[in-house]
Amino acid sequence: MLKKKKVTVGRVIIWVVLIAFSVWTIFPFFWTVITSIKIPGEKFTYGFLPYIQFEPTSQNWSNMLTGPERERTLLGLRSSIVISALSSMLVLILGALAGYALARFNFRKAKDIAVWILSNRMFPPIAVAIPFFLMMRSLRLLDTLPAIIIAHTVFNLPLAIWLMQDFFRELPKEIEEAALIDGCSTFQTFVRVALPLALPGIIAVYILCFIFSWNEFLFVVTLSYKNVMTLPVVITGTLTVVGIDFSRIATLTILAITPPVILAAFTSKYLVRGLTLGAVKQ
Amino acid sequence: MAIAKKSTGLFFLLPGVAFLLIMGIFPLIWSLTLAFHKWKAATGVGKVFVGFQNFIDILTQDSRFWNSLRFTVLYVVVVVLVELVLGLMLAYILSEKIHFRNFFRILFLLPMAAPAIGVAFIWRMLLNPAAGVVSKILASFSINVPGLLTNASTAPYVLMLIDIWEWTPFMFMGLLAALQAFPPELYEAAAIDGANGIQTFGYITLPLLKPIIITLSLLRVIDAFKLFEIVFGVTSGGPGSSTESLSFYTYTTGFSYFNLGYACALSWVFLWIVLGISNIVLNRFRKEA
Repeated sequence: MLKKKKVTVGRVIIWVVLIAFSVWTIFPFFWTVITSIKIPGEKFTYGFLPYIQFEPTSQNWSNMLTGPERERTLLGLRSSIVISALSSMLVLILGALAGYALARFNFRKAKDIAVWILSNRMFPPIAVAIPFFLMMRSLRLLDTLPAIIIAHTVFNLPLAIWLMQDFFRELPKEIEEAALIDGCSTFQTFVRVALPLALPGIIAVYILCFIFSWNEFLFVVTLSYKNVMTLPVVITGTLTVVGIDFSRIATLTILAITPPVILAAFTSKYLVRGLTLGAVKQ
Repeated sequence: MAIAKKSTGLFFLLPGVAFLLIMGIFPLIWSLTLAFHKWKAATGVGKVFVGFQNFIDILTQDSRFWNSLRFTVLYVVVVVLVELVLGLMLAYILSEKIHFRNFFRILFLLPMAAPAIGVAFIWRMLLNPAAGVVSKILASFSINVPGLLTNASTAPYVLMLIDIWEWTPFMFMGLLAALQAFPPELYEAAAIDGANGIQTFGYITLPLLKPIIITLSLLRVIDAFKLFEIVFGVTSGGPGSSTESLSFYTYTTGFSYFNLGYACALSWVFLWIVLGISNIVLNRFRKEA
């Protein structure tokens, strides 16, 4: 009897903690959504139940997507998509090749090379931001897509190589060996046998790099100012124009946050693996 | 082990490594050479070689540097400790069989998937003293906090709170994965021996988790050290310079004052601090690899 009661108290505590932490996690997102569907004049009110406490409006959203802010929003959306998609593709090509080399060829210093590659991930980005700025200036690439695509590729490549190496090691070697015996060249074996087998890992690495590139801020803010502007930087633009405009910040922030959050929800296991640099495997 | 000749392997390895050398290492070396120069780009005067002067100035005269280092270290220590304790607690709770476990797992990881600058702006809205919802909620409990972000003694802790909101999921997810990999027999054996929940946690769970706790904490320390977006988006280093992180101070020196040589020296001092910590992590990875 006593034991059973204890268990129930434990369960209650667990659920109280879980619900409290859920509210804490979800409230900031929730409030941002609420703010984005309030009439700007109503932002000072604290109603949070649409239709009951306030009349929801699509005004902020149409302002952002079709109104005077349209140009800026579309520029941000376009830059974000192009930069994330292309830099992740570049990372994937270089990363899969190098990861395969480290996993399958016996280099004498393979371990040292792999650890050196990973160490690149740990540099504070600000340490390379100034030489990057100067480099891109002398190449006349400031404020262009290539500058940021290159920066994000450098930023994501170490992680991609490190994770790809892991994925290739987990594949059974025998299939590749059979392909080689059947007369495939090393490159054919890589493209026709190893890559298809590692496909889930490859997709995961692409999505991870896409999220990290989408979220990256420092390189975009230092390497561009007008023609290229990803959504995270567009958000900060709301400050200088008209002080602090809650409705605009809310709508833009939701636009910037939704894609990576949805991608992460679908790849949650790989997200953890990526963020812990492969130390945690699920 | 080997699939083919090493020379073929080099063709696979070379593009990626060359890219990292050219775009990753070369800029660092360039930055190091600039660090020995005085170069204020805004004044129109060119580079002047000054030897170690920038480094001497940083270490002996620059109170703003020491202030940003102090703030960053305090920030890192507080957020990593709190995130570890909270994450451990949640992971332990969710490692038991609970309804909707997957739902909670995905819900809790959302903050760290969002762009940090977006997180900063969300919290900036919530914490706005005039129109923010937090001051309203606190006011309804008769707690009056006129300006959490305009007060130099509270602003640093507000930023830490945002970090804790964003990154507790990291500790939680990592530890949960580790806990779920433990064989259940372990706990059964402990239960048979009559261990209670706290004993099981203290004598079995914690010691087994120790390696992953250390790895996760070190990774988090390295990441938290780079603190930039939250400062940029919420306080811009203010009030005064009470929330100026090392990254933010270096950024301001380089891209607002265009004091490029000095900013490069700052970033190298910063780099040495981070490299010290990352070496510990890298050694752990090397052993496991």
